[in-house]
This record gives sequence, structure tokens and C-alpha cells, in this order.
Amino acid sequence: MLTAPKELLNESACDHHTNKKTACNRPTPGATTGGCAFEGAQISLFPYAEAAHIVHGPITCLGASWETRATPTSFSGRDLTQVGLTTAISENDVIFGGEKRLSASIDEAMHTFNPKAIFIYSTCVTALIGDDIDAICREKAQQYGLPIVPVHAPGFIGSKNFGSRLAGEAVLEHLIGTLEPESTAPYEINLIGEYNVTGDMWRYLPVLEKIGIKVRATLSGDGRIDAIRTAHRAGLNVIVCAQSLVTLTRKMQERYGIPWVSVSFYGQRDTSEAIRTIVRAFGDAALIDRAEAVITEEEAKLSKQLEPIRTRLAGKKAVLNTGGNKAWSFASALQDIGLKVVATAVGKSTEADRAKAREYLGEEGVLMTKPAVEQPKVIADTQADILLAGGRSLYTALKKKIAFVDVNQEKKVSYGGYDGLVAFGEDVIAALDNPVFKVANREAPWRH
Amino acid sequence: MEALTVNPTRLSAPMGAMLAFLGVKHCMPLIHGAQGCASFSKVFFTRHFHDPIPVQTTALSDISAVLGGGDEIVTEAIGNILAKVTPDLVGLISTGLTETKGDDLRSIAAALTQKSVWVSTPDYIGGLQSGWAAATEALITQLVQPCMSVTQKVAILPHASMTPIEVEDLKALVESFGFEAVALPDLSESMDGHLGEKQATMTQGGVSIQAISQLGESCAVVAIGRSMLSAARLLAAKNPAMKTIALDHIGGLGATDRLIGELMALSSDDRSDRAVPASVKRWRARLQDMLLDSHFTLGKARIVLALEADQAVSIAALLSEAGAKCTLITPTDEGGYEKSSLSPFRVGDLWDVEQIKEPWDLIICGSHGEALAHRMGRKHLEMGFPQWERLGGQLESAQLYHGSARFLATVANKIAH
Repeated sequence: MLTAPKELLNESACDHHTNKKTACNRPTPGATTGGCAFEGAQISLFPYAEAAHIVHGPITCLGASWETRATPTSFSGRDLTQVGLTTAISENDVIFGGEKRLSASIDEAMHTFNPKAIFIYSTCVTALIGDDIDAICREKAQQYGLPIVPVHAPGFIGSKNFGSRLAGEAVLEHLIGTLEPESTAPYEINLIGEYNVTGDMWRYLPVLEKIGIKVRATLSGDGRIDAIRTAHRAGLNVIVCAQSLVTLTRKMQERYGIPWVSVSFYGQRDTSEAIRTIVRAFGDAALIDRAEAVITEEEAKLSKQLEPIRTRLAGKKAVLNTGGNKAWSFASALQDIGLKVVATAVGKSTEADRAKAREYLGEEGVLMTKPAVEQPKVIADTQADILLAGGRSLYTALKKKIAFVDVNQEKKVSYGGYDGLVAFGEDVIAALDNPVFKVANREAPWRH
Repeated sequence: MEALTVNPTRLSAPMGAMLAFLGVKHCMPLIHGAQGCASFSKVFFTRHFHDPIPVQTTALSDISAVLGGGDEIVTEAIGNILAKVTPDLVGLISTGLTETKGDDLRSIAAALTQKSVWVSTPDYIGGLQSGWAAATEALITQLVQPCMSVTQKVAILPHASMTPIEVEDLKALVESFGFEAVALPDLSESMDGHLGEKQATMTQGGVSIQAISQLGESCAVVAIGRSMLSAARLLAAKNPAMKTIALDHIGGLGATDRLIGELMALSSDDRSDRAVPASVKRWRARLQDMLLDSHFTLGKARIVLALEADQAVSIAALLSEAGAKCTLITPTDEGGYEKSSLSPFRVGDLWDVEQIKEPWDLIICGSHGEALAHRMGRKHLEMGFPQWERLGGQLESAQLYHGSARFLATVANKIAH
């Protein structure tokens, strides 16, 4: 596959499909920072810990990227998410084709790791030289009697988001609907686009269970292959902060009649809203009542925990510089812990995300479209106390003598669900209390 | 495993080339490939150095870009880079994708108005240190002016795994003998983890392109690691009077003695010890003492080194001096160390480490060694690439007298406690 399927580029269920400036479009040469389609596919599927993930390409694709994402699993066998497998094709393979090596690699992975399934990821070079990955997967699936899934998301085909979408296609075509469950329960959902990064998912699952909502399958946090194969028997698809997978849920609605909703579990308001969205989709009055009772209980519990944090943060102003839907989902979490969000960055956000950011920040809130340029001035104008951004903004914070929280640290600490807010609040306070931002910016003695 | 690579320590040649360009002042590395080649590398090195990393990509993304010759998209990318910053040099790096489709970077670079150096690094050949070496060779071939006379300048060609401080220490040592030292590439002023402004826009430190162009007037070139041998030959070819000092490594007492001997010979004809600074002599005595102090622990230690070949050989030589038994498993071996190695040596990945039959105590390798050591109940010392969980790697040395002494202590302490 050398071109992106048009149908997937113009996703009708995607609310920004009419807008040209979106993540689905061609990246700008010389002015691009995001990951490629292969990375998107990897992010979406690698969390299946009982499946082998073989990257069919030269060493770059896997060599720099294995063991980079903490997506914990409860799977008791060897966690194959953290085992780097690649054909690491050589010059010879490029000249004569990499099919033989791929075929042998599948055999070796089978015999060594005995996985529940194998995902084969095509990459730029193996797509370009035309290895027939589909045929090999078909043949090997038959030989071993388990799913061997070709994932066609070579890097050049598009952005990270687009790769996630292609991964969803592969799961839909090769896994979903290939197994019938032994039993089903009334309120079963599939969590789509929830990768359980740093265990985020485990923070809110107990709350859903208390209400009576069960997870049938996930794509793909703490995911199981047999479960996703029965995903067509769930009552509802729940997309968690992943616009790129709406194609999958739309198609599942068409094929299996499963409705879908899109939610976020960042912060108190979003978590409560997410729960309400899910139970309303099922439409059962008793379930909705149970959900309201649990929300009331959880919010009261959280409110008590957050009280000292809110008191400490009252009146503090924050500037947020992150991307996509985090422009508002993170802002919401910041507001929940008592901060006033005076600005947020929307450079990489869709129209819908911008509208939502405006709604959360209010009329006087600043929506930065060029945060790298606007940030220092916004901090000065608003007299903000804290900057929450990626590592490269650290210098801005130091210059402006304000506290800094690296928002990428959420890759190490979970901020999800109700509990996550407390951890988040504690980290923000720790930053505000830390003298380091002033000390590090002391004038050198020879500059007095 | 015959076909499959499991838990690789191998990194790609384009990543090595990119790292080399990070050691050139006011440079923007531009990876000609799909956007993932740059973004994976950027994230990798950002987490390794704990600092923003400048790199750009031509972001090949559709059928026309894949089937075109590449010249238009490279020009477009450079135009977009220049809209934001004004680099002195663009380091143009090829990838497996653009090599497979046959883009000719040489002619693309020749047609550019922007000053650039191109390097061919298909990522299905070689690894980090060969990509670093290839970029160094490209910088020499394309920038260094030929010269007939020599000055008191010494060119240093460090291998890819030398830390910024190791480069700085070697420069300082050479300078203490009265020479002017210029390292190519020079990470000591760019990736040394200093607080600076605008670090992400392009490299703020490193060797300037003017200094590179004048390397032909060096009286000697000191190359560390076999991967840098061919770069040393290319540089020496720029000036018939230039002396070549090519060392496999400068780890441990013997190797440092050899380097000091070379520098003495270079500085004076009578081999007088007056040329050697007092502090160097003092550190040699400290290293002697540390070798003796640590040999009780290290003499019984069995250590696996899963590092880039040039670094593995250096560490093995040092630890062996105190009696440690080392096994080397390296991602590549372009220099042919396997044949000359006194310790067991093979090319492999971390899966091969898991299969080692003989017992061992400690693995020295990048972050990926942590899970392996944990699973096998062994110890792990984070070194080489990547160092995601460990701070300060760029400030540490395991070379020359003082770096060797300190590193022996680090390893002995790790094993004893």
C-alpha cells in the first residue's frame, strides 16, 4: 500500500473532516514535529501484552522506539509489549525482498514466545520494496491457527493519528468478530483508544464497575486478544481521547449496530461527564440513578481530598501549553484543583477542541495559536504563577521567574480519573513550592 | 534466533549521523525520510540528554513524494527551516526510505544555495557509530580545505559513544601539552546539559564550520575508536604533513599511557617528562592505586558489556586491567574487533545476553538492560545509549587516568553493594 486510502483520510464521523488544517493532512517538510503513521499504529496496538509485535523494517523503526511507553498490563505471562521484535532488514533483504526473513521471524517468534496473536507492522522500506505481507500473514495464520495481523501503516503514509486509524482498521478486519464470547453481561463496553499509559485506566475502572459497567474489550490498554475478538458483542464503544479511532467505531456501528460515545477521564468534571455519557447511552433509568449516586459519592470523597490543594492553589494563575484535545481536557483538570487557567495553546487543536477550550476558559481566557512566540508575553500580561508545558518551554518559565510543570511527566505518573487529580495537584504544589526555578535563575557573580 | 532481532541495542545510522551534526555549531540536522525517522530519534535523544534536541524532517508523506527525486521536497524543507532560523549548516541525512527510492543527495545538496553537508546513511546498513563516522567523514570531505603547512592545532575525532565530558577532557589534555585542540564532532559544548537559550531551534554549541574548514592545518589527528579510522585517513589526506594517531580506545592505564606517549612525542623530540602536566602525573598515581584497591572486587567479577563496539572495547580494556572477566555483545562490529578481542566478543542483541550460559554479575548497557537485569536477578549499570532513567551521564567519564579511576570505583561499588 503506497497511498493512503481516501476513505480513511476523509472520515465522515470525524468532526474536523471538512477543515483542511487537520492532523490527517500532509505534514510540512522542514516544519514537522509529530510522529509517523507507524508510530501511531505502534502506540495503538503494542499494549496487547500477550501478542508478539514484529516490526518488518530497518532498525530505526524499532531500535529507537521499543520500551518507550509505560503501558502496564495485568497479563501474567511475559509482557511482550516490552519485548522489541524486528526483522531489522539488511541491504540484501532490500535487494532480494524481505519476505523470507519475515516468514522465518514469525516462526521464531512463535516457537520462542508462544503468543496469542502476532501483529506484523509494515514500514516505509518494506512497503516500498513490495513485500507481500498479507500473503505471509494468511499462510502463517493458517499454519499456527491463531490471528496473524498485517498492519499497513508505513511511516510515509501519514501522521501518527492516521497510523492509529490504520491500526484500528487492521483490528476491525482481522480480530473483531472472529470469536464468540461464552457469556455476555447487560452493560458491557469496549474502551477504544485507552492505552492505560502509566495505569490511567486502572484509576477509573473500579468506579465503572461499582456502577455495574463491565469492560468487554479494550483497544488496547491491558488488552487481551480473545477479548477484542469478541468486541462485537459489547453494547457500547467508548472512545477515550482518541479522535483517530472514530472510523473504527463508526464501522462497528454499521456492521454490528454498536453505538459509540467519546469521552475523557482527565479531571473531576470530565470523569463525571464521561460516566454520565456512558450510562445515558445505555439509557437504563436504574443504571443512571446508580451512576449519579456513585458520582456524588466519588466527588464528595475527592472534594475532601482536594480541599487542602484548592486552598493552597486558590488565586494562582496557570498558562497551559500542550496540544490537541489536552488544550481543554488538561485545562479542566487544572480548574478542578483550583487554578485559574488564563491561557491555553490551541495550535494543534481541531475546531471542536478550540470551541471547547473557549468554553472552559471563558471570554477573557487567551487561546494561543503560536504558543512558542506568544507564551512569554501572555505570562507577563496575565502575571501567571505557573507554566505547564513540554520540556522545551522550561527556559521561558525560568526567564519569567515562574514555576514550571513538565506536562510530559504524565508519561511517568498517572493523572487519570478522580484519584489522578490528587496526584496532579500535589505535583503542581510541589512545583510552586520548589525554590529551584528561582535558584537556577540567579544572576552569576561575575554579572553583578 | 536467525532471522528475528529481539530486544536490539542497535540504533540506526541516521541517528548516529544526526548525533554527529548535533556536535556542529549552529547546525540543523535534516533527516530526509518519513517524519518518524526524525521524531523517533528526537524523542530518543531528548530523553537521553534530558534536553531539547533540534532536528527537522522532509516528512515524505504521499505517493508523489515517494516517487519523486527528492530535490523539491528537500528545497521546500530548507525553505521552511530558514523561515524560522538561520543555521550555518544543514546536515542532510538520508534514510532507508530515500536510499531505497534512489534519491541522489549529492546532486540535491550541490544545487542548494543553503550551506549543507550530505551523508548517505541507509538504516539497513550499520548502526549508530557507523552513521556518526559517516557524518564525520562527510564533514571532512565536504568542508575541510586542503593545506600544505601545519600549526600547533590537533584535530580530535571522538567516536559516537564518547560523552560530552570525555570529549572535553581529551581536548583539555591535548591542550595541556601546548596544542590547540579541535574536536569533530564536538558534543562537549552542545549536548553537555548546560542551561542555555533557544536550544531546540538549532545547535547552540559545537565545532563551528569555520573551525572545521581549517582542520587541514592540524599537525596531527587523534582518532579514538576504529569506527573513526577512515575519517582520520580522510583528514590526513588533506595535508601530507599531518600525523595520524589512531587509537582503539583511551580507557585504562595502558591505553592512556600510550596516548600520553604519543602527545609527548608530538610536543618534543627528547621525550622529556617535563611536557607532562603535574595533575596528569598525579591522576596516573591515583589510577594505579584504584586499580589495586578495586581488584579484590573486580578480580572476581563477570561483567557483560552490551555497548557500541568502540565503547565496549574501551570499558573492557579498563575493567580487565583490574582482573574483571568481560563478555562483549555489540550491535555491530565494522572495525573487526571480534578477531582481535582478548575477551569473548560477538555481535548480537539483548536476547543473546539472555542466552549466555556462563554466570555473570553485572551488565553495563543502556536503559534496556534494566528490565533484563531485573528479570534475571543481576545488576545493571546504565551506560551508553540510551540513558533514559539516569541523570548526569553526559558529565561522566570512563577514560584517561582520572575517568578510569572513578569508573573503576563506580563498578566495584556497584558489584560490592
